[in-house]
Amino acid sequence: MKTKYCKPVIILMTLTLLMVALCCSDNYLEEEPKTIFTTAYFEKPQGIEDAVYAAYAFMRYIYTPNASTALFHEGTDEWTYGEQPRNNSSGDNLQHKECGEYSLTSGNAAIPQIWNNSLPAINLCNGIIEFAPNTEGINENRKLELLGEAHFLRALYYFNLVTQYGGVPLDLGSGDLKLNTTPFFGFNRDNPAELLIKNYQAMIDDLIFASENLPTMKNPDNHRLTKAAALHMLAKVYVMRHYTPAAQSTDVQNAYDAAMKLIENQEMYGVALQQNFADIFKQGNEYNTEILYAVERIPGDNTNNMQTDPSGIGGLENHCSSNFTPNYQQPIGGLTLIDGRPLQYNRPLRKIAPTKWLTMTCFADKDNDSRYHATFRTLFRTASVNTPGTQAYDDYIQLLHDNGLEYGDTAWYLPDTQEEANAIFARGVKYFVVGPDNWYTNQDLTYMMHPALTKNNDSLRVAFNDAPGRPYPVCRLGETYLLAAEAAMLLNNNDKAAELINVIKRRAAYTPGATEQQVNERYAIIAVSAGDINLDFILDERSRELAGEWVRWSDLAVRGKLYERAIKYNPDVTGLIGETTGKYYIRPLPQSQIDAINDPDREKYQNPGY
Amino acid sequence: MRIYNYYYASYRRKKTKPTLIKVMKLALLLSMVTMLNISAMVTSHDKKLSILVDNVQLRNLFLEIENNSEYVFFFNTQDAQLDEKVSFSTRDEGIESILKALLLKTPLDYIMLEGNFVVIKSKAEMQQNVITGKVVDSEGRPLLGVNIIEKGTTNGTTTNENGDYSISVSSRDAVLVFSYIGYLSEEMQVGAQMIIDVSLIEDIELLQEIIVVGYGTMKKSDVTGAIVSVNEKSLNEVPSANLQLALQGKAAGLEIQRIGTAPGSDAHIRVRGDRSITGSNNPLFILDGIPFEGGSLNDIDQNAISSVEVLKDASATAIYGSRGANGVVLITTKRGKSGESSISYNSYYGIVKVARPYKMFDAEGYAAMRDAGTGSWGYMEQELESMKTGRSTNWQNLMYEDGYVTDHNLMALGGTEMTQFNIGGGYFKETSILPGQDFTRYSLRANVNTKVGKRINIGLNTLNSVNVANGIQFINEQPNTSGFSNTPFGGSIMFPILTLSPLMPAYDSDGNILIRPGGNSEDRENQYNPLLLKENTNEWVDRTRRLRTFNTLYAEVDLINGLKYKLNLGLDYRQQEFNQYQGRDSYFRTRDQSARARVNNGDGWGYTIENLLTYQNVFADKHNINVTALFSAQEDHVHNTLVGKEGITADFIEFYDLNQSDPEATLTLSGNESSWAILSYMLRINYNFNDRYLITLTGRADGSSRLAQKWHYYPAVSLGWNIHNEGFMKNLEILSIFKLRAGYGETSNQSVDPYSTLGGVSNYIGATAVRYNYGEQRVSGYYINKIPDRSLDWEYTRTVNAGLDFGLLKNRISGTVEFYYAKTRNILYNVTLPISSGISGQFLSNVGEMENKGFEFTISSVNIRSGSFTWSTDLNLFLNRNKILKLYRDIERDVQNQLHVGHPFNSIFDYEKIGIWQLNELDSAQAYRQLPGQLKIKDQNNDHRIIYGEDRKVIGSGEAKIQGGITNRFTYKGFDLSAVIYARFGGTLVSYLHQPTRGYVTIMDGRRNGLEVDYWTPENPTNWFTLPQEANDFKITPPNAATSWQTLGYYDASFVKVRSINFGYTVPQKYISKIRINALRIYFTAQNPFLLYAPYVTKWNGVDPEPTGTGTIGGVGQPDNLRISGNNPALVIGPSTPPTRSFLIGLNITL
Repeated sequence: MKTKYCKPVIILMTLTLLMVALCCSDNYLEEEPKTIFTTAYFEKPQGIEDAVYAAYAFMRYIYTPNASTALFHEGTDEWTYGEQPRNNSSGDNLQHKECGEYSLTSGNAAIPQIWNNSLPAINLCNGIIEFAPNTEGINENRKLELLGEAHFLRALYYFNLVTQYGGVPLDLGSGDLKLNTTPFFGFNRDNPAELLIKNYQAMIDDLIFASENLPTMKNPDNHRLTKAAALHMLAKVYVMRHYTPAAQSTDVQNAYDAAMKLIENQEMYGVALQQNFADIFKQGNEYNTEILYAVERIPGDNTNNMQTDPSGIGGLENHCSSNFTPNYQQPIGGLTLIDGRPLQYNRPLRKIAPTKWLTMTCFADKDNDSRYHATFRTLFRTASVNTPGTQAYDDYIQLLHDNGLEYGDTAWYLPDTQEEANAIFARGVKYFVVGPDNWYTNQDLTYMMHPALTKNNDSLRVAFNDAPGRPYPVCRLGETYLLAAEAAMLLNNNDKAAELINVIKRRAAYTPGATEQQVNERYAIIAVSAGDINLDFILDERSRELAGEWVRWSDLAVRGKLYERAIKYNPDVTGLIGETTGKYYIRPLPQSQIDAINDPDREKYQNPGY
Repeated sequence: MRIYNYYYASYRRKKTKPTLIKVMKLALLLSMVTMLNISAMVTSHDKKLSILVDNVQLRNLFLEIENNSEYVFFFNTQDAQLDEKVSFSTRDEGIESILKALLLKTPLDYIMLEGNFVVIKSKAEMQQNVITGKVVDSEGRPLLGVNIIEKGTTNGTTTNENGDYSISVSSRDAVLVFSYIGYLSEEMQVGAQMIIDVSLIEDIELLQEIIVVGYGTMKKSDVTGAIVSVNEKSLNEVPSANLQLALQGKAAGLEIQRIGTAPGSDAHIRVRGDRSITGSNNPLFILDGIPFEGGSLNDIDQNAISSVEVLKDASATAIYGSRGANGVVLITTKRGKSGESSISYNSYYGIVKVARPYKMFDAEGYAAMRDAGTGSWGYMEQELESMKTGRSTNWQNLMYEDGYVTDHNLMALGGTEMTQFNIGGGYFKETSILPGQDFTRYSLRANVNTKVGKRINIGLNTLNSVNVANGIQFINEQPNTSGFSNTPFGGSIMFPILTLSPLMPAYDSDGNILIRPGGNSEDRENQYNPLLLKENTNEWVDRTRRLRTFNTLYAEVDLINGLKYKLNLGLDYRQQEFNQYQGRDSYFRTRDQSARARVNNGDGWGYTIENLLTYQNVFADKHNINVTALFSAQEDHVHNTLVGKEGITADFIEFYDLNQSDPEATLTLSGNESSWAILSYMLRINYNFNDRYLITLTGRADGSSRLAQKWHYYPAVSLGWNIHNEGFMKNLEILSIFKLRAGYGETSNQSVDPYSTLGGVSNYIGATAVRYNYGEQRVSGYYINKIPDRSLDWEYTRTVNAGLDFGLLKNRISGTVEFYYAKTRNILYNVTLPISSGISGQFLSNVGEMENKGFEFTISSVNIRSGSFTWSTDLNLFLNRNKILKLYRDIERDVQNQLHVGHPFNSIFDYEKIGIWQLNELDSAQAYRQLPGQLKIKDQNNDHRIIYGEDRKVIGSGEAKIQGGITNRFTYKGFDLSAVIYARFGGTLVSYLHQPTRGYVTIMDGRRNGLEVDYWTPENPTNWFTLPQEANDFKITPPNAATSWQTLGYYDASFVKVRSINFGYTVPQKYISKIRINALRIYFTAQNPFLLYAPYVTKWNGVDPEPTGTGTIGGVGQPDNLRISGNNPALVIGPSTPPTRSFLIGLNITL
């Protein structure tokens, strides 16, 4: 090669070698995505916070969409399926009916609601717990709080899974309580009984961690988790475990201790009972001291509430009140007294209705126990969804006048007793009166009307068919007293149990405007003594305090009282007759879960009987 | 002018170019010096000559005569007799008498030929048989240096630069053999002919002796893989907007289906079938050696392409390793040539006409259909009036107008031994027959190559284009996204044109457009008049603009004997912007919807660095070895930003400033990014022994950023045997080529998207943002939605290929037969993880298997060659059989994704229509809960019920039984004619047009007009279409009626189409050389002139059997009989721009 051309050649080859060197450096083939996030995001301060936000947000799938209404309430002593599932048993109505009468199968569309939404949330919590310790640039206290939240939420997700489906895997593919990093086609549920033991221990460990690391003082403006909620849940999980084959001898004492720690240190935790029971649920008072933890939403903000289709009845819309609302729009003798669906009365979805036992037996005393009227709406006034000045509104006013009524007059009244109803009938009124004998049950279809659950009504929705958007209380101090009382009872300390229950009773006797004497008189009538205390009483009292609060089905199922009480008090549970054991005391696993398992013998993972 | 090879001739014209002539001119000049003093002595007037010379050599006298007259002399310069000096004088004498007088005393004689040619020969020679003539190519261009030999002798000559020759033959029985490199040899019997003109046919096999094989070129005879080549000339027979359409029907194994009818639409390209379920099945495109990523082939001006090679089997594509499985299409652009520079200009202009409008009911038929049906929609007032007055509106006629297509291309090429160049630019525009649809491309390109010293060669190749397409997105309801992911606004324009009532007037009584001629139901009330699109063009914009610059810089160094090093640097930048605007109360936005606009701007860029070492040598004369080693690195990035806004203030703003809008109105924002890199090492060894036994070994290692286990290795081996070079074949003259090839190899496709293995967290669950609040503090949450998968892998395809190349009758007939079997394993398939794994949604996993097997046949022949007439034919036929072997686990079918084990990937799973229930079948019909006039569906399991889940089966597939193309070319003197025919036989097409609830064009519910189908009435017991009825009229239609109606849309997809007919005339040089033009061809092309066969069109009233799009194009809903999303949506025929035919007139000029 002549020297003249050596230079360019040398340059070329040097360049090439440089490029080779550049290309071969390790990171040439590394990916650095800019618009997608990987779990590496959780190692950043904002990332780990965002992960915790999502862990909270997923609770919205558990607490209060349509399908979970069925899983938490249908087929209990308190609740049966409503007019819609009765008359139109397809789509989501079928879910309600199958749960309500116990004909459900693994294909029931409500079944996946808790399963499908809890497991990814648990995996997320596992991830937070794994990543948070490595997160840099965040102070250690904050880290512990975040970890406390992740532990609490993981325990609560597990709690609902276990109480509904029995033992569930702690190992999602990468080991117990570990973030799953492998596409795992198996299902670590060979022995649900053993799993159940591990499940409860995991929940208890998580909640102990949470009760030690969450912030102490409850924030008056929100429902971020604090120690109070963790103690409450810890007491609850101990109580529940006591009734299961996983029970440990120390459970009752531990439950009592956890609950009492909270009850006795209320001030330190920034919590207290509301004076007036009705105030717990009053709109505008969402952040009251009694609520230890609520799944939050904001009224009227469908985007924040993740209600992409706010009038939908799918997986995410909150139907804590509309599902329980009877058809106040129905015409009687061709006359409809309420015009449309005024915001204050909810959207009448009619999926679920109270049993006669709940309204008439459990709440037999509607005068001295304020909780009946604080729980149910029995009076609907004439109202219109239309605005004054519109033709539709004027037509409605005209209609009222034609029937001798004014805007705001009574439209529907559901008296406390049949006698009262009869008396009103005898007197003759222009509004509709439905006495307890004719309240809707599947046994009586005269009026399709029943007292409407009002806890958590939201009258600040954007449109009348929108799902509500209020924080939904999951842990509240009222229940802590009941858990403490139950633990005391199980410790054979009925005196203490009665004492604790009477705190709740005294509060129930209170109504605003009542004199102290009146309250004392009422209290004297409803107060209990040690001799009254037994498990059935505790369950009755839980109904009075917690009716419609997303607890009842598992309350009964775990305590082994479902068969007895549902058969006794709910004539619609026909499928349960004779099924004293097995099948219906835990739910089937969703068929989609079973189908996806890579094991030819996959049916063995299903709960027995399904 | 004719020149005998052994006669040097003088030459009269001054502007002769070819170098050979120059040499002769020099000789002439020298000889003329001696006669300058007498030059004035010869004058001519009206073919009469006056001569006065004294003692001048004969040859100089002839030259002098030639210089001063129209006559051209041919003589043997060596002939000593010409040195004889003569003195001569005459005045106004004819040439013949002059020659007679001059030659009287010499041993010479003359012959006068046509065109003032004078041949001077010895009298002895004159006794022999002298044959003269001209040799041209198939387009009438003269061929220089053609060998002409008298068969069985050594007597021979060659043609001059004008293709002329003259030869003396021994007798009239002689046979002349004309042979020329790259052309088929021709033999002519002399007989009584004095002049024998010959037109030689290009020998495709030989002409492309050197073919592009990826990372180099190779002698065709050394190739062992399955490669098909399409040359420039063949591509130019179908002038089109893009390469795909020009390639249709041109190469065996290359299946090209149209997926859009608007100008600038892309096409669906498959090499030997599909092999991926979720990944792309598009072949890898390589432009001048550099991968052509993420773009549209619309970016390439067809004029820039010199050849296209398609690598089909693994032994050919293994050099592209992880990207080879879908086949590789190598596109080579034009290069400069050393020699005199030339400039050529190619241009055509044509009109585009609707070939076949949709056959819709006319006013009368429409009313009859409505009256026959069960629909309860009443007539509108104007409709009743039309019925009275006989008024009728043909919406198609109102909307269609002729479009045009034009192309202008300028190219200069040339160079010296050291430097060659080819530069050019082009302009292409095609408009549609619908308002607002057009496609324009501006392109510039350059290729410069130069030698630096003896050993270094460097060059730059650059291709640049800007193209603008209007009206594609709105028409098709589907974006031409090409890697940019955000779906634009949809809006079908064809639908109202087809379905508006022919009873409704288009204009009101004042002659203004009737804004909403929709109709009698709520959902038709907001149907705006499509004429608004034509008239109010300021109310909408639908534009896609792309810029692409694709550049390659290379340097090659000759190191030592046979060892070369080459560096290839590719730099590619592409930018694309989608602009849309829809004005308020316009065709696209009803009164209560505000004006909206969006801009989606994306760009992509990437580079490729290739280092190639090649070594080529021959040992001991018989061992040919050729080694190619490669190291390459490539990176590619794309990014896009979308902004959309409603409430735009005024029409004139269009999309230019979205801030000129209602601040409260909806704002849409999104962005996307994707990057990847690949590192590769490749080694290929070609060895051949004595041109007989060939072996190719290939190994490639690819490291990809997309996988966690980054490196994979791809081996391939192939063997070839040139049997025709064996001794025992030498005497078998009939077989000129007989070669067996076989290959085996493994490749994969890059079906894993970037970032797929990383796992992911997201703040969205489907369309729902993950949100939460703590009191008034609103937050957005991130959860784990994708599991990291370190085991995710490519889809590997192993191919076995066996081929036979043959040439008969000195390659007058040549062809190739190929058989292959390819099995793809590890196919990525979305499986549902058990939710207990903590991940919701589907998960991509390597689980499936698929096979493709097939047969390909190509033949080229010269059918007739007689004098100046030739007829040659290229034919290719091929078939591919695809079958899904395995999905996941034991799943036999995945109905939702239309995957059926044991059936082709594009199979159709549905009810089977067996007719229409007739009146005399009332009882059986009722047993199936049907009535006469409704669909008779086959009860597959014979349980006397028709159940959606049970009575459907695979009823067909989009796979053609056999397909191919045939091109016939004819030449006669300067005329050339070619016809390209493309055909597919077998397979089932899916016509949304005929699926009542998909295209809504045959719903016949009384709300809209429809395709004129033969529907059932008690008086018309047809078995084609049902009684007109409303979709959800459950009183009369059974459950799932709408889904069973889909069976009305399946038809035989066979067709034979004439893609183009080209008729050209090359103007003889003698006419054009005066105006300084070297070559001129004028041609006329008819594109898509006829459908020769298409039952879908002729029997079932479709308009065109080729697909108009993919997925839901022009249709609605989520038909679960078809795969509508992902990388491989089904091809369907929807209500789209009707087929067009165009008539072009063009010209090619070379200066």
